[in-house]
Amino acid sequence: MPGPRIFSLSVLMLVSSLTHAGDKPLRQVIDAEIKAGWQKEKVAPAARSSDSVFLRRVYLDLVGVIPSYDETTTFLKDADSQKRQKVIDKLLADPRYGPQQAHYWDLVLFGRRPQNIFDTRKHDSFTKWMAGEFVKNEPYDRIVKKMLSAEEEGSEMFYVQYRNAPEEAATAVARVFLGTQLQCARCHDHPFEHWTQKDFFGMAGFFVRLVVTDNGGPEGKRKFKIGEKSTGDVLFAASVKDLKPGQKGDPVKPKFLGGAELKEPEIPKGFKEPPLKGGVAPPKPSFSRKEKLAEWVVAKENPYFAKALANRIWSQFMGRGFVHPVDDLGSEQKVPSHPALLKAIAERLIEHKFDLKLAIREIVNSDAYQIGDTGPATEAMPTMYERARVRPLSVEELMPSLRVATAYDPAWMKNTGDYSEYFMRYFGEPNDGQGHFQGSLSEHLFLNNAPMIRQFAQPRKGNLADTLVTMKAPWEEKVERMFLSVLSRTPTAVERERFVKHLSGDAKIAPQLVEEAIWVLLSCSEFRFNR
Amino acid sequence: MFPTNTTGEHLGRRAFLKGALATAGGMAVANWGGLFNSQTIAQEAARQNKRCILLWANGGASQIDTFDMKPGRPTGGPFRPIQSNVNGIQVCEYLPLMARMTDKLAIIRSMRTQSPDHPDGIYHMHTCYKQNDRMPHPEIGAMIAKYLGNPEADLPSFVRMGSTGNAGSGYLGPRFEPFHIGQDGRLPYFSEPSVTPQVQERRTDLLNFMEREHAREHRAEAFESHRLAEQRALRLMRARQVFNTNEEWPRARDRYGNSTFGRGCFMARKLIEAGVPFVEVGQENYDSHADNFTVHKANMDVLDPAWSGLLQDLQERNLLANTLVVWMGEVGRTPYINNRAGRDHFIRAWTIVLAGGGVRGGQAYGSTDRDGREVVDNPVTEGDLFATIYTALGINPRVRHYVGARPIWATPEGSRPVRALLS
Repeated sequence: MPGPRIFSLSVLMLVSSLTHAGDKPLRQVIDAEIKAGWQKEKVAPAARSSDSVFLRRVYLDLVGVIPSYDETTTFLKDADSQKRQKVIDKLLADPRYGPQQAHYWDLVLFGRRPQNIFDTRKHDSFTKWMAGEFVKNEPYDRIVKKMLSAEEEGSEMFYVQYRNAPEEAATAVARVFLGTQLQCARCHDHPFEHWTQKDFFGMAGFFVRLVVTDNGGPEGKRKFKIGEKSTGDVLFAASVKDLKPGQKGDPVKPKFLGGAELKEPEIPKGFKEPPLKGGVAPPKPSFSRKEKLAEWVVAKENPYFAKALANRIWSQFMGRGFVHPVDDLGSEQKVPSHPALLKAIAERLIEHKFDLKLAIREIVNSDAYQIGDTGPATEAMPTMYERARVRPLSVEELMPSLRVATAYDPAWMKNTGDYSEYFMRYFGEPNDGQGHFQGSLSEHLFLNNAPMIRQFAQPRKGNLADTLVTMKAPWEEKVERMFLSVLSRTPTAVERERFVKHLSGDAKIAPQLVEEAIWVLLSCSEFRFNR
Repeated sequence: MFPTNTTGEHLGRRAFLKGALATAGGMAVANWGGLFNSQTIAQEAARQNKRCILLWANGGASQIDTFDMKPGRPTGGPFRPIQSNVNGIQVCEYLPLMARMTDKLAIIRSMRTQSPDHPDGIYHMHTCYKQNDRMPHPEIGAMIAKYLGNPEADLPSFVRMGSTGNAGSGYLGPRFEPFHIGQDGRLPYFSEPSVTPQVQERRTDLLNFMEREHAREHRAEAFESHRLAEQRALRLMRARQVFNTNEEWPRARDRYGNSTFGRGCFMARKLIEAGVPFVEVGQENYDSHADNFTVHKANMDVLDPAWSGLLQDLQERNLLANTLVVWMGEVGRTPYINNRAGRDHFIRAWTIVLAGGGVRGGQAYGSTDRDGREVVDNPVTEGDLFATIYTALGINPRVRHYVGARPIWATPEGSRPVRALLS
């Protein structure tokens, strides 16, 4: 894999003069910078995406599901030259937009195996809260501030992951919101970066007083509250070996990452912690460290915050962050692939008060986002963005997409459920820890043999297979409908011929042949990925 | 016997050469590749035949009642030692068959480990990392599958039976996930074809057509990984007869003992012979907080023929020299006998046994004091054990992977292979 390139000074200067060109729409800045990168690195970009490829991509990215047959055909027929821009606006206003963005952030903040898993395995209240924030397009800095203050219902689940684990909370906050990897400095001063153990434990100091109170309720709906004590410090010893029995190290004052120590008032003499109880709102501390931290994280002056978001949101839609992995911006070892563009996006985010919809609208309207998905590059996420990124559909995207593709009536799930445990098990984590896709044996055994997959391909009144079996039309037309429904595109001439041959093979078993053909389209790699 | 497993390798010759050539060219075999790009072909070829079987004593076996006996001491318990076929090494009277195999065994009597309970111990002894490390560490089976497995083999590279590990393939990803079968060859859900061979063939043809068409202009590795996984699934379904031992078992059970665990050991031998690089077989019920001696006698009655039968079988088929057989559980058991005639968990001084490929047999390594309470010499940690196993199998114990931005090694810093154990 080619590493990030270092830009020559002249290019940097050229580029920064471009970004200072005032109110040029961000999408144009993006395209100019990406193009400059291609020229500099002499890479040949793919052609612009076809309408079908674009439509499927933007549906998955913005609303988390492929377009339906009707949505696809309407879009493809539309002769309006502004139709891409229009569909983007429509999707940004779609009720599914909020939940899809919440889903993306859920994977960032919790992943498939959240910490303190007993309390957090199910955290529907959080995703619901998050979706609400995206629906009303709450500015990102305010969302994060609320999450770190943990006072709104649902928002507290972020901290519940780090119950009694202030060091883990520090690591997560630094990584996700500040794009900085601190964890190495937990056990030793960071080997390659300037972070020391004092930096690490200084950050942990903001979380050491947090208390999670459990207010009961069934799993997935359990109510927690985040309280904060007025006393307690992180204890740190440079060398554990030198400690005498009973000694636990010296208290470390909270310290903002790369900044000053927190100034806090003395605790009054004779102060006693009020008791914390489940079911009762925890009392406010005399001085809240978490409040100070939340303010500092999202402050305009914080050098890490906007940049971390710029890199994150770029990677969400473009595959690879300018710095990769996406949450390693603090590294001095890593030069961004497009430093000026990273800076420009971060500046625009600040300028527009962290309006996420505005930033997303600009990115997905860019030519860079709308690039084609073909070409010689073998990387899933090409460094210079010369071809669209390829990422697997998440379970949350795959399941509704299977339903939309095959016109599956959600009412049919009433008695059986949606089998999401199965899908999670077989499609849940198809990567190698580095974000590379890995197809698994069990995923394909499931695809081949599970009734939960077969139900989408078998004829059932009103679904795609049924329509194809019963509709009076030539096979060519049926094949076209099948492709548009599942792959959001028309078949090529070769594909049409091959599928017609398959489907018209034996009239006696036509429903069976239709089922097979639909299964093939659902199982092929074109369907498995967002590209 | 099935024609597929007499050749010793369940993969085509062309497939094997393809794998080797890709490595010779010095290129990484993409993300799904199990090969290691910085190695020479010679090392690669040597590793191709290395295998490992882990016999897992679930719950934690008592070292004092098996391989580190303390006759006459208050901690010794009622079992008597018998002389093994190696001078100076005695084993429990209920392991008479293993006593005749001791020249093959490297008995580590000085395990000193860190995780005292079941879930954490099972995790730790399968990954050599602590569970609360919050890193998704892969199990030893996944690591071995990655470095010793052939990406083009019909069978999965990591097969297990019974109660075994709890970490899965972790950061190595689903390519190396464990394939869990019953000791009797029962396959996991969805492994049995759901359609007739005719339908399967017809739709596979159509799918292959689609994939070929798509691959023309779509070259991303992810697509290839998806296609290869589909092929592996189909190959597995075709090769699944390997897991059927119904005809062979009636004869084999005289050797392995008529038990579920024995049958699992027999299956392990079959799979190793068919080219699977890692097989784990779990034996239940070692967790004898009460009635330790009844429990252990019953377990050894099962273990003794199964384990010795496996070693003998491997040897007769010239597989033992390349197959490392590890016997261990998550903890040892206390020297102290509690008031329910039980022994509790113990991690300060306990025993693990290695045999076969890459280790020097006929030795007891390390020792404990006369009551078995402390290690007297040569303590061995989880990391040391894993480093020894990986070295014996030709895997670099300090091979490095990345999880996000963070580097992580196959064994923790400071782990060292125990040279005296290696042949």
